[in-house]
Amino acid sequence: MTTRAEILAAVGQVAREVLQHQGPIEAHLRLVEDLELDSLQLLSLAVEVENRFRVRLDPPDEERIQTVGDLVAIVAEKLGGVPSPSTP
Amino acid sequence: MGWRELVERALPVAGALAAEGIRPGDRVALVFPTGEEFFDACFGALLAGAVPVPLYPPVRLGRLGEYHRRTGALLTAAGARMVLTDRRVGSLLGESVERAGPEVAFRTLDRLPAAGPAPSPSAAPDDLALVQFSSGTIAGPKPVALSHRAILAQVERLNRHWRHIEGVSGVSWLPLYHDMGLIGCIFPALEHHAVLTLVPPELFVSRPALWLRTVSRYRAAVSPAPNFAYALCVDRVRDEEMEGVDLSCWRVALNGAEAVAPAVLRRFVARFGRWGFRPEALSPVYGLSEAALAVTFSDLERAFVSARFDRERLAGEGVAASDPEGVELVSVGRPLPDFTVEIRNGTGEALPVGRVGRIWVRGPSLMSGYLGRPEETARTLVDGWLDTGDLGFLRDGELYLTGRAKDLLILRGRNYRPEDVEHAVDGLPAVRTGCTAAVSFLPEGADGERLVLFVETARGFDGDGAALSAACRARVLEATGLRLDEIVALARGTLPRTSSGKIRRGESLRRWLAGGLHPPARVSPLRMLGALARSRLALARHRRRSAE
Repeated sequence: MTTRAEILAAVGQVAREVLQHQGPIEAHLRLVEDLELDSLQLLSLAVEVENRFRVRLDPPDEERIQTVGDLVAIVAEKLGGVPSPSTP
Repeated sequence: MGWRELVERALPVAGALAAEGIRPGDRVALVFPTGEEFFDACFGALLAGAVPVPLYPPVRLGRLGEYHRRTGALLTAAGARMVLTDRRVGSLLGESVERAGPEVAFRTLDRLPAAGPAPSPSAAPDDLALVQFSSGTIAGPKPVALSHRAILAQVERLNRHWRHIEGVSGVSWLPLYHDMGLIGCIFPALEHHAVLTLVPPELFVSRPALWLRTVSRYRAAVSPAPNFAYALCVDRVRDEEMEGVDLSCWRVALNGAEAVAPAVLRRFVARFGRWGFRPEALSPVYGLSEAALAVTFSDLERAFVSARFDRERLAGEGVAASDPEGVELVSVGRPLPDFTVEIRNGTGEALPVGRVGRIWVRGPSLMSGYLGRPEETARTLVDGWLDTGDLGFLRDGELYLTGRAKDLLILRGRNYRPEDVEHAVDGLPAVRTGCTAAVSFLPEGADGERLVLFVETARGFDGDGAALSAACRARVLEATGLRLDEIVALARGTLPRTSSGKIRRGESLRRWLAGGLHPPARVSPLRMLGALARSRLALARHRRRSAE
């Protein structure tokens, strides 16, 4: 199982490596208002998270995502019952 | 997919659209990500005699409110009879369609009725073929009406440009709702029966190396992109991602749709020369949606040309005088065959070589007009000439761009309305409502256009420039998805206005660049601190990259 802490750490890694974000990535931070991600960065984040966890975020999921924590929760939900992130 | 297969797949779609009551000339809005379904829908609509109106799908993880407002307005402006989309995007579009009104039908491709091929209608050369949007200053994005004749003329001239390259093939990650993606890549490949490999734009954005790897893998000779894409590659592609890549096949790396930064061209050549990239492949170009796409092209097989000009004389007198210490401008090349470029002054008289003025264009692929807007069409198309609203000058037969007469933000190859940025900060207690100006410009030596917001402060402003900046930044990001590069706080009454009280954006920018717009003294130290912090971060990033 992938824990939420592991997912959060991976999201942080995406933010640093791909978005070149500096500073902490914490669950309560909002993607747009706090992390100041622009539209291209949001797109990169969605694609990278999907690739890394082999999940697919659907438009209704994305509507609910405001914060880093929301993103982590939805990924965890999608991975629920799946033994490891590398299993499709 | 072969071009024949494409037609075979599109025929039943055409039949289904006809069965749904779509008639020749009806506008069908297409909202698709890059994929096979876009082709089914686009060519299905064309084969039914209908007029495709490609629109962009919602931004991933973005806020939908702004998207619905804009998409609803675009659907209305295009007079769309139907919105055609796929299931995934369709689940999000309800509000946009509702805003466009009940007369707009909404269908997903998988739910179209089964039908035989449509009776193929015969299109006349001057019939409407496609509607694409151009961003306007006052009334929002304007629907540009293109005839079959115009699109064919454009496509034919693009292909003529690289006809000397044998077995030419292309790679594009450009969105298919963008003129450079559809008219610049898909249609020429179709006309030429060439192989074209598409990369979804979102994959390029998250992994820019994929673009270069795809060019190498498919030995593509032609691949275009706006300036920002070249900058993104320089900044983000790592050496290990380039393993086995050979870019020597890439003969035409068109660079257009936004201001071309000479610094980016040089950095791209320096960075990717190791992997076989040819400096002469880089071809700065100029065009606009009102001309279907391209107007001028740089000579192929020649490295890009730039020259330095006296800054003062360029801005003050409108004279392009050489100055080795001056501002560097890149040539965007010569007019395509059968196109003419003329530089005119404000009253429409032609200016001599080397004088800055409005760029007017005549040629075979100009739009028929703005759909349903005769007054705006009459202002823009005069005696067969198109007023581009861009400023520039000619030198040795080549065009150089110096700015825009129209108020328009061009960022990452996309046009935005300054009003959308300005309205986003209305209502902040520190901001004088309606007393802001959003501008974009390409600073010397920079990689891309910067977005600057001038803000006259209200009584509620407590002198905290950093807080004001943060609040503006957050509002603008949320409303538009754009990041402000700089916020300039000004005392009330500082921004130049017209006699009717309208803020003059271009003049504000000009004065600010010349040091003639003075923010209140107490804000300056904070801005200085901000700049220092930014600079330190940039240095840290640089060091980290150097150490890697």
